Amino acid sequence: MSDQSLLQVKDLSVSIDNELPILHKINLDIKPGETHVLMGPNGAGKSTLGYTLMGNPHYQVTDGSILFEGEDITHASADKRAKAGMFLSFQNPLEVPGISLGSFIRNAYHAQTGAPVKLLAFQKSLKAAMELLSMDESYADRDLNVGFSGGEKKKAEILQLLMLNPKLAILDETDSGLDVDAVRTVSKGIEEYQKKKDGALLIITHSTKILESLHVDYTHVLVKGNIVHTGDGTLVDEINEHGFERFVSELGN
Amino acid sequence: MKKDLDMRVNVLPVLTYNFLHVNDSRITGSDITIDSLECPEVGTVPAGVSLDRAVSFDKAGDIFRANKDRILVTTGVPGAPNADMSYRDKDQAIRTGMGIDVDQLMISTGATVDVYTVAEGTKVAEPIVLRYEMKDGQGSLSGQVVHAGRNSEVTVIMTYISDKEASGFHGVSTRLLAEEGAKINVVKVQLLGDGFMHLDDIGGACFAKGQIDVVSLELGAKKSWAGCYINLVEGEAVFNSNMGYLCRQDHNLDINYVSDHRGKKTNADMQFKGVLMDTAQKTFRGTIDFKNGSAGSAGDEQEDTLLLSPGVVNKTMPVILCQEEDVDGRHGATIGQLGEELLFYMQARGIDEEEAKKIMIKARLESVARMIPNPEIMQKVQYYIQNIV
Amino acid sequence: MSDNKQVVADINRSIYDFKDVENEKDFYRLEEGLTEETVLKVSEEKNDPDWMREFRLKCLKLYNEIKFPDWGPDIDGLDMDKISSYVRHKSDMKGKWEDVPEDIKNTFEKLGIPQAERESLAGVGAQYDSELVYHNVKDEVAAQGVIYTDLESALRGEYADMIKDHFMKLVPPTDHKFAALHGAVWSGGSFVYVPKGVKVDIPLQSYFRLNAAGAGQFEHTLIIVDEGADLHFIEGCSAPKYNVANLHAGCVELYVGKGARLRYSTIENWSKNMYNLNTKRALVEENGIMEWVSGSFGSHTSYLYPMTILKGDHSKTEFTGITFAGQGQNLDTGAKIVHQGKYTSSSISTKSISKDGGIGTYRSSVVIQNTAKKAKASVSCDSLMLDSISRADTIPGMDIRTDDADVGHEAKIGRISDEAVFYLMSRGISEEDAKTMIVSGFANPVSKELPLEYAVEMNNLIKLEMSGHSNA
Repeated sequence: MSDQSLLQVKDLSVSIDNELPILHKINLDIKPGETHVLMGPNGAGKSTLGYTLMGNPHYQVTDGSILFEGEDITHASADKRAKAGMFLSFQNPLEVPGISLGSFIRNAYHAQTGAPVKLLAFQKSLKAAMELLSMDESYADRDLNVGFSGGEKKKAEILQLLMLNPKLAILDETDSGLDVDAVRTVSKGIEEYQKKKDGALLIITHSTKILESLHVDYTHVLVKGNIVHTGDGTLVDEINEHGFERFVSELGN
Repeated sequence: MKKDLDMRVNVLPVLTYNFLHVNDSRITGSDITIDSLECPEVGTVPAGVSLDRAVSFDKAGDIFRANKDRILVTTGVPGAPNADMSYRDKDQAIRTGMGIDVDQLMISTGATVDVYTVAEGTKVAEPIVLRYEMKDGQGSLSGQVVHAGRNSEVTVIMTYISDKEASGFHGVSTRLLAEEGAKINVVKVQLLGDGFMHLDDIGGACFAKGQIDVVSLELGAKKSWAGCYINLVEGEAVFNSNMGYLCRQDHNLDINYVSDHRGKKTNADMQFKGVLMDTAQKTFRGTIDFKNGSAGSAGDEQEDTLLLSPGVVNKTMPVILCQEEDVDGRHGATIGQLGEELLFYMQARGIDEEEAKKIMIKARLESVARMIPNPEIMQKVQYYIQNIV
Repeated sequence: MSDNKQVVADINRSIYDFKDVENEKDFYRLEEGLTEETVLKVSEEKNDPDWMREFRLKCLKLYNEIKFPDWGPDIDGLDMDKISSYVRHKSDMKGKWEDVPEDIKNTFEKLGIPQAERESLAGVGAQYDSELVYHNVKDEVAAQGVIYTDLESALRGEYADMIKDHFMKLVPPTDHKFAALHGAVWSGGSFVYVPKGVKVDIPLQSYFRLNAAGAGQFEHTLIIVDEGADLHFIEGCSAPKYNVANLHAGCVELYVGKGARLRYSTIENWSKNMYNLNTKRALVEENGIMEWVSGSFGSHTSYLYPMTILKGDHSKTEFTGITFAGQGQNLDTGAKIVHQGKYTSSSISTKSISKDGGIGTYRSSVVIQNTAKKAKASVSCDSLMLDSISRADTIPGMDIRTDDADVGHEAKIGRISDEAVFYLMSRGISEEDAKTMIVSGFANPVSKELPLEYAVEMNNLIKLEMSGHSNA
């Protein structure tokens, strides 16, 4: 089972509004349970990769393919990908007035499983997850992301991750703009997800705070739309110390 | 009684280009049955509230006429807006959103008004509920006056309900006076059948620190007109309005809301959220009128319309009139389909486009439905919304 | 104190407010009022082709049939029986500045027109009352095949058919009462044709001066920018102030071809006895771009809503406008947009300032027809109230007939923030200067769209208006 790829990205090139490409021939192979980290300086195209993997119609795949559990999903809509077991935590989650966080998660859960939601059990696990994330219970009844602070929005994303329990979670700058305590809480949520079973992770970040308490299998460095280097978890520490300059100049050569 | 109708209602407070066809709306019809001219019975009248049943429309307006100078207070600085239409409604006891033609209909049919007077300082805990249960082929026309004495509080909920397929006529005139520090909360829920013609007219005034809140849900009826004109005549008077609507099939909804700021530091907040489907049509007029003397006042109107079918017609006419330097007036409108980003967010959680639309319809309407301070009626509305989507 | 300030304002205003009354004998002037006889006289004066004479008479009939608008500012003060619809100097139009009659030349010299031509324009037309007195286009621009001439000559020349095909087709005389009036007595104005692919690097300008008292100006501007061509056209207007009403009912018709771009800039500074009932309209083909920059400072009463019809797919328009309504002024301005083609986009951004009892109204319409799939429209209108005896109204309308459109609208009304004034004053700036700076800043999105010298003119107009501002 573990030899089987969960996500395979083959020679993926991506452009936006049919203009110049942002990503060039990206290759990735994520197996169940693995934790991959995608790092790179601002503007490298990290978020673009996250959006493209999740199927945001704003980004066009000009070349290459994306396979999830062996199935070609390059052109599948985002909801199909979510149903297949992919999850993207948004850097800027949208505010949706009129629908509460709790009922949104219930709706999503129902959409993904197709089975009727057992209300009591659902409430119980929601409560537990919120407790883990030190979220006040009242947030479940508040309109989705409306009036949430930056930290609360990020927590609400991780809450959805825990409740929807995907096979692969792509976390896009989940730590950006958070204070130390909030980063710790969010990391706790991510660890919990990792622990559960074969939950794989692709963590997009330009800092390393969030990675401190996580076991990282692979680190990829994205510079100007190219993956210029792939290494193991220790690469994170190296980047932490020396920054991206080495990789940027490598690309220049 | 059979009645021919030819009314000009929901006149924009100032006229604009005729080609837009938003300056007013016509109500026409012949041989309209209007057989009920009284409000439905309310059970027990709460303590501190007195009810005069079935008063003539004219007499019920006396309380406004007695306060006319106070309501229409002016500073003496001249300056009407271009193409001002206020002259049209000057003979109303209190100006209403739909205008004088509704008054004339009430008078000519002999429709009666229930007058609620809330004694000074009385805070009525339980809402007064008026249930109009309409049968197919019925016509009803009636009114209410709610007069809240100083520092009193009262909530009146009205529901207009019929079978889904039923046809008929339903008209209501609601006039409100909130004295100093008083608070009137009016909730209107329209769940009439697909063949109904519905008129809902509101006019009101708030004295110092008085407040009028209007929550309304327009979810049924083939043709519906909703008008509301609130005079904020003295310091710190407040008007909050929340409307949710759903227009589907060939339904037509015509709206005219006005907040008229005359007192200092008055505040109006008007929110309109709705959904248009099939070949439905909607015209929205919303006016914030800062009269000279309304220094320190603020007015905000926001419209959020979700368009879900290629055949819909949506007209939006947001007006801000201003004759006072120290005010803050805003209007915003967002009209269109489900936003691409939002759709992607939903899809990323596994919710497909159809389902996302349903969720968004519900979200819009339920955010208003949740303001109904009566669990049973709120549930009924939620059930109604659920059934449609 | 406030009297004193008013005097300052009047003196400054005099750069626009000089008049040449003593030379009236040099002018031919049609008697006041509007009858078939006067219309035929205008036609005769202009040596119209037959179709144009017939057209004028048809328009007169329409004028008498169509009602005055029931919306908008009051125009009771406008008595057509007291307006002369045709006034011209008894000399012909000149192609050389030296040949322009001395009195008129003086007027335009004072307005800085010839200087502007030398420095920054590709061509200039100058209209004095009812007739063009001067028209010239730079040789290198003419060599590109660009036609810039008065409409009357064009009507009889090589482009006669083109004019006939386009004249009042975009603004039909049935459109409203003053469009019909325009059709009946129009005189003067310019014709511009920019051939396919030609890009005119520097702007063309027409300047309209209404010098006669109790007269009307009815110039017609017809611009055709052919496929892929590019033009910036500037229009300036001014008049001295009289105690009787003057009328301006011009008409501007703009045709923007496939992939073409036209920018039309106006600084309107009519005197404050002017009824400015002007009609401007543009038709934009596929991928074409129409840009409007509009500053309204003058006039007693204005009805001005340049309209853009986005006919072709992917066509685009931007409207940037500012209106400054001061004492005695009732300026009703805005824009109209019709989306017909797919992927069309429009944006309206306006600023309006009211002071000293002036009435400024922003009025607009955005129509998205059912055919205009994927259309995008955004409207943003801000009003600034400088005192509490003025009025600032915002009356935008939207009519949307497809679900596949994206429409956003924002309106704000407010005043100069006390904190901002205080902040500037704490840096040593006087209160009046601080307010002027803030108002200029408010107007900045418009002025930055104008060529430098016009932006300077606009800022001077703002300073001029602000210096008359009393804090009472």
